[in-house]
Amino acid sequence: MSEFTLEFPYRRSLGPVVGGFFTGLRDGKVLASRTKDGRVLCPPLEYDPETGVAVEPDLIEISGEGVVELATYVEQPMRKHPLSEPFTWALVKLDGADTALLHAARGCVAKGDRVKISWRSERTGNITDIECFDRV
Amino acid sequence: MSEPVRFVSQKVDLDYKVVTSPVARRFDEQMRAGRITGHKCPECGLVYVPPKGFCPIDCVITDESNEVEVRDAGTLTSFTVITPIQYQGQEEKEEYVLANILLDGASGTIGQQRVEGIPHSEVRMGMRVKAVWGGDPNEGSRGWGLTGAIKHWEPSGEPDEPKEKYQEHVL
Repeated sequence: MSEFTLEFPYRRSLGPVVGGFFTGLRDGKVLASRTKDGRVLCPPLEYDPETGVAVEPDLIEISGEGVVELATYVEQPMRKHPLSEPFTWALVKLDGADTALLHAARGCVAKGDRVKISWRSERTGNITDIECFDRV
Repeated sequence: MSEPVRFVSQKVDLDYKVVTSPVARRFDEQMRAGRITGHKCPECGLVYVPPKGFCPIDCVITDESNEVEVRDAGTLTSFTVITPIQYQGQEEKEEYVLANILLDGASGTIGQQRVEGIPHSEVRMGMRVKAVWGGDPNEGSRGWGLTGAIKHWEPSGEPDEPKEKYQEHVL
């Protein structure tokens, strides 16, 4: 058996909305976009998925705590998973948002659990600045 | 606060395993021991290096009973000077030479062979070369395969072969 790794590194431009979101994460804040009719999208999108209308130009800060909407437990994490211990993929609707963010939650969490962000101490402007969610 | 985040670096990667055939495994073991081996077709007599486990001309299976050792020396039949483009992960910094080599005792060339020890402007078709083996087979530091076990090839000092001897192998 011979083992190989094929790699393709690349750099991706983010644009004003996702760039703003990642800037916020780097600074330890969760930013969301608002649609014209007042819904709050997190992760922020550039356009309202319901209407296709551009969102308001400024992002707003929301809470780093929220509720689990959907959960999938991963008993045996793979090499590239965000946590090396068993964890849960969770869709988390943060307080103040109308949509949910997908991230890892430590251990086993279930729909309806309240969770909060565990921030990395060294942040670079990436979704991985959120280490994971922890149950409150 | 510092500058806004405008880019992210990402990486697509893929880990995979290739099942090594018994023929390739045997070849690699022999390479580690410093022997370059091939299979000689019992029908047509062509010597395949590395061995395929069959002769594609005669459709016969070959195995260890058809194994022959060839010399770790041969004739350079074609070459190219590579100028490495500097991308992330590139380990080559300087121009280098890759060549096809017709080993003594083999019926075909081996490709992608590194040639060192001679100015690039003096590398030529018909030049005689010999292997410089890498690592120590006893301590397991020698790589595998034709480009892993042999570090590179260098001029042997023998006179060049006339082109009649290798021209059918030129790309």
